[in-house]
Amino acid sequence: MVISVHPGLIPPSAAESEIIHLAIPYARLNIPALPPPESSGPNDWPEALRAPDNGAAVALLRAHLATRLRVALSDRSDVAEAQIEDFAQESVLRVLSQLERFAGRSRFLTWASSVAVNVAFTELRRKRWQDVSLDALVEAGEQLANETLAQDPASGDEEDRTRLLESLREAIATRLTGRQRAAIVGELQGLPFDQIVSLLGTNRNAAYKLLHDARLALRRHLSDAGISAETIRTAFAP
Amino acid sequence: MNPLGPQHVRELIRFVGLTRTRELNCSECRDAAGELAERRLAGLPLDEALERVEHHLQLCPECTEEFRALERILREAP
Repeated sequence: MVISVHPGLIPPSAAESEIIHLAIPYARLNIPALPPPESSGPNDWPEALRAPDNGAAVALLRAHLATRLRVALSDRSDVAEAQIEDFAQESVLRVLSQLERFAGRSRFLTWASSVAVNVAFTELRRKRWQDVSLDALVEAGEQLANETLAQDPASGDEEDRTRLLESLREAIATRLTGRQRAAIVGELQGLPFDQIVSLLGTNRNAAYKLLHDARLALRRHLSDAGISAETIRTAFAP
Repeated sequence: MNPLGPQHVRELIRFVGLTRTRELNCSECRDAAGELAERRLAGLPLDEALERVEHHLQLCPECTEEFRALERILREAP
C-alpha cells in the first residue's frame, strides 16, 4: 500500500506517525489499532518504497532514520548534526538498494535502523583509521608470535598457560601466512574490517575466508598439540 | 597503531576458542540483528539461527558495537 502524504506535512520528528494516521482514517475505522511500531509509516514499507510514487515513503523513512541515528550517536561528541543528516540520506539509498534482504522477521524500521547504524559506524571507523598502512600491519604481524606472546605476564603461571602460549607462538609462526598474520593483527587492533579488506587488496568474502582459515589453523594446531578446547576457553578467562 | 600487548594475545586465544567450522559473516549477522534485538528486548526465546548471530557477535567487535547501538535505538526510539 502506498501512503500519500502531502510533502509539506512531513517534519523530521516522531509526530509523523500521527500524520500518517490522519491521512488514512479508514485504517482506524476498519481494523484494530496497529501497534505503535507498525503505525510509524506504511503498513508495507517495502511495497511503499518500491512504488513509482515513493516520495512520501522515502521522506518519512529518511526522517525516521535521522531520528534513530541521533539516538544511536547521542554520546558521540565528534558527530555533527549535518553528518547525521548525511548518514540518514546515505542510509535511505542503502535500504532502497537492499530491500530484497529484508525477510520480515523483524519490524521494517528495526531492520532499516540496522542498515543505518552500519552506514554511520562504518564511515566513522574509516575516518579514525585512515592512516594505517599495510606495511605497518605486516610488520606487527611478524612481531605477533615472537614478541607479544613473550610479554604476557601470565605466561609461566600455570603449566596449561605456558603450553598454550608456546603452541600458539609456534602455530602463528608456522601455520599462518604473512597476510593472515597481518589480517589478525588488524582485527586485534580494532581496524575496520573494510579497511583490512582494502589494505589486503582483496574483497570481503576472501578476507573473511583468510581470517577464518587462520583461526581454524591455529585451533587445529593447538588441538594437535593436545590442548583441549576447554583449556583454550579457560586458560586466560577473566 | 598501538603496540600489541598481552590483552591482544588473550583476545586472539578467545577468538581461537570460539572458532567454528561454519560461522556467519557480518552481512548475515546484520540481516538478523533486528530480530535478535527485538526478541531480546521482549524477553523471547532464541532459535538456533539467532544463536549463530550471537556467536558472531562474540567474535566481531564491529557488529557488537552496531548491535548495541541498535538495542539503544529500540529502547529509546521504538
